[in-house]
Amino acid sequence: MSELAPQLPPERRELIAFCIDDQEYCVDIMSVREIRGWSPATPLPQTPDYIRGVINLRGAVLPIMDLAERIGLPPTQPSVRSVIIVVKVGERLMGLLVDAVSDILTISEDVIQATPDVACDRVKAFVRGLISMEGRMISEIALERLLPDVESLAA
Amino acid sequence: MDELEEIKATFFQECDELLGDLEQGLLRMEEGATHGETVNAVFRAVHSIKGGAGAFGLDALVRYAHVFETLLDGVRSGKIEAVPDLVRALLRAADVLADQVTAARTGGESDAGETAAMVAELEAWTAGEGHAGGGDAAADDGEPDFKPISLAPAAAGGDDDDFGFKPMSISLDDFGAPPAAEAAEWTVVFKPATSLYAKANEAGLLLRELERLGPIQTQVNDEALPPFDDLDPEQAYLSWIVKVDGAVTEAAIQEVFEFVDGDCELKVTRGGGEDQAPDLAALIAASQAPEAAPEADAADDGATRVEALLAAAQASEPLPSLDAPAPEAPVVMDAPAVAEPEPEPEPEPVIEPMAVAEVAPPAAQDRPAAPVAVAKAQPAQAPARQGAGEPAAAQSTIRVDPERIDRLIDLVGELVINQAMLAQRVAEHGFAPSSSIVMGLDELEQLTRGIQDGVMAIRAQPVKSVFQRMPRLVREVAGMTGKPARLIMEGENTEVDKTVIERLSEPITHMLRNALDHGLESPEARRAAGKPAEGVVRLAALHRGGRIVIEVGDDGGGINRPKVRQIATDKGLIAADAVLTDEEVDNLIFLPGFSTASTVSDISGRGVGMDVVRRSVQALGGRISISSRPGEGSTFTLSLPLTLAVLDGMVVDVAGHTLVVPLSAIIESLRPKRDDVRPLGPQGAVLAVRETYVPIVDIGCVLGFRDAAIGPADGVVLLVESEDGGRAALVADAIQGQRQVVIKSLEANYKQVEGIAAATILGDGRVALIVDVDAVVGMRRREPAPARPADQTLYAAE
Repeated sequence: MSELAPQLPPERRELIAFCIDDQEYCVDIMSVREIRGWSPATPLPQTPDYIRGVINLRGAVLPIMDLAERIGLPPTQPSVRSVIIVVKVGERLMGLLVDAVSDILTISEDVIQATPDVACDRVKAFVRGLISMEGRMISEIALERLLPDVESLAA
Repeated sequence: MDELEEIKATFFQECDELLGDLEQGLLRMEEGATHGETVNAVFRAVHSIKGGAGAFGLDALVRYAHVFETLLDGVRSGKIEAVPDLVRALLRAADVLADQVTAARTGGESDAGETAAMVAELEAWTAGEGHAGGGDAAADDGEPDFKPISLAPAAAGGDDDDFGFKPMSISLDDFGAPPAAEAAEWTVVFKPATSLYAKANEAGLLLRELERLGPIQTQVNDEALPPFDDLDPEQAYLSWIVKVDGAVTEAAIQEVFEFVDGDCELKVTRGGGEDQAPDLAALIAASQAPEAAPEADAADDGATRVEALLAAAQASEPLPSLDAPAPEAPVVMDAPAVAEPEPEPEPEPVIEPMAVAEVAPPAAQDRPAAPVAVAKAQPAQAPARQGAGEPAAAQSTIRVDPERIDRLIDLVGELVINQAMLAQRVAEHGFAPSSSIVMGLDELEQLTRGIQDGVMAIRAQPVKSVFQRMPRLVREVAGMTGKPARLIMEGENTEVDKTVIERLSEPITHMLRNALDHGLESPEARRAAGKPAEGVVRLAALHRGGRIVIEVGDDGGGINRPKVRQIATDKGLIAADAVLTDEEVDNLIFLPGFSTASTVSDISGRGVGMDVVRRSVQALGGRISISSRPGEGSTFTLSLPLTLAVLDGMVVDVAGHTLVVPLSAIIESLRPKRDDVRPLGPQGAVLAVRETYVPIVDIGCVLGFRDAAIGPADGVVLLVESEDGGRAALVADAIQGQRQVVIKSLEANYKQVEGIAAATILGDGRVALIVDVDAVVGMRRREPAPARPADQTLYAAE
């Protein structure tokens, strides 16, 4: 994977941007393993609502997280246009349910602005920073904070 | 370089096996098998490790193994008696050897102090007999590649001597002849076998080589030569008696014959000429004592063979002249393995030796050649053929990288899923059951299943690999607690999938420690109770109902129920007035935070004891239970699935979800009638199943798939048995069918989910969850049950 990535100066990064509830968010492209269409997930009992269940990813069991619900927005209504972004967090794979993928951005680290204090705690917990691009505001998601309980389990 | 590393890796793999064999052998010796093949096997294991270590220049390991081997050789030859204390010392020595091997493998350091102490102890045992008998001549004759004398200067001069190894004073002058005979000349009896000539060696050249060492006198013995008409020109009939100057060392003489070892009979003795005749007579006489020949064959080195022949000769025709000049005679007399020759020389010599000498059938045709043929039997083969009653000879095996097998298993797993998907598609199209497509699919299913079973069998391993680490653990824990204990192991060859084997070690270790530390009483208490001071811990493995069952039992005091109760009450684990059966009290020890030891010891009892074992066992889909009798001991029973890769399951519908219930937990499935459901209390109900009443558990409710339970009569009931033997009626909406499913971990990408054991992928490609039956039954009790307020008081104790 890494050897295929274009050689960028260390401070340059590529991000995948996507829409949730008419807002734009992004994740580092290096974490993304694949992007696939929505398929119904098998619900898991005893789990938070934002875990939509698990799907079969070529023989592996992949948990699906509704990113909107996780960061406090209204739950996503999955449709045929919905997309699952498969990301790798630590040693685990996870599917993020989002409305649509919108863009691939190449930015330098210094254009990322700190999350302003006005944001609520929940947003601050999951947003690493804000990027301003052609008048759009895109928030970068801190993937490793999405599943805090998984993190502590892995430790 | 990599190649060398690879060979080295193979060597260490073999070391593991050899260490296992060593320990097994020593344990058999502990049980009383102190001679014959058992001791030989033990000796060979250490010898092989030493040999391999030498090839890789692992000097520390070689030095230690040598000391160990020297002692074992004494035991093997019967000079040192294998008393229980010695066997125990040998067992500890084997532990140290294992440490040394580990140190050599990892490039780390072994415990120098421990090693030095062990070396000293081994040497003391060796020296303890030291001067009796004729020293180690037997070993030297048998293994010309092993020269103690060359070791002495190396060890003495070496600064790399990291555990203060002191060479034993095995110098060649020490054994064999008394000092008075120092200058006496050597008598070499050399009898070439046919194979010597067949391998293009030449007796004349060897004799000439011998001559270079010093002046020699040669005398040929042609007694065995048949009349000319009977002569087979390709047979060896002649032997030589050579007198060599006394100043020459025996090692030098042996070296001349180094390359014909095994192809001739060679006897080097100090002394005059009187014994030539007896020697030859002995060889010939031995051929007349067929009982002695196989006996000699069983021994695994050439020297013992020769001695056996001699012993046979002595027994059959005693020659007083033999004793005086031949210094080795006492050794021969001492060797127990050869001490039972046929007292009466049998007149028909040919048949028996021939049977023994399958390796060289032509040589056995003639009477004089018979002993030669016997001598030709290769050491490695002889014990294998003779090993009746001992473990079977090594089977031919191949070594395969486990990753390759794992990959194969993954692929087969995908194949099973794919085949199921295909079957489902075909079913959706409504083909007739007799159509060729459906029949073909049936065959495919059988084949798939066959492949799966075959592949799983490849990965199945005997639990031995886990069990063989346990004797050491028991020795160490017994040493630490001061409670002498003996471990009895049963069913070590029970096979189970590798995935399970890897995870057996921890719970077994924990249970054994627990048995020793908490189960067994102190020796004083045992004696007071009229039991032997030494405790017995039993570790057994067996297959039962498609699962592997591991039992760890002790003959200790059993569970002290009043104390357990008291502790549980003190710690607030149960209500003081709770009414509990004995079984329930026993099971309290599995509660988190429970520890019965009054003092927290190093070995167990940090309060993380049995509940951790129980949880790790449950995570594997296993169950653990305990049975105990006061004064007689306790037994922990661990039951695990045979594999963690596939599972036979019942596919059911619950509130629109597809779930899999492990078949192993299901006793039966039934469709109860409405009046089988008996109300109990204001809200509760039980199900009557043939005169017994079982609690009703709605899977959908417990897992949160629906709020209101459906009546058992509206769905189907799976009667299940949970880990503590209790039964429950699981209610589902409908049964889809029975299927073998491939287990997929939820933890790999997510985390454990309560009530769910794992996931699988069904024929339609969707994920289905596998129900953790015990957890679901357990969760029912803890449910915040607003609909059943009675429950809260009932289970307040928990």
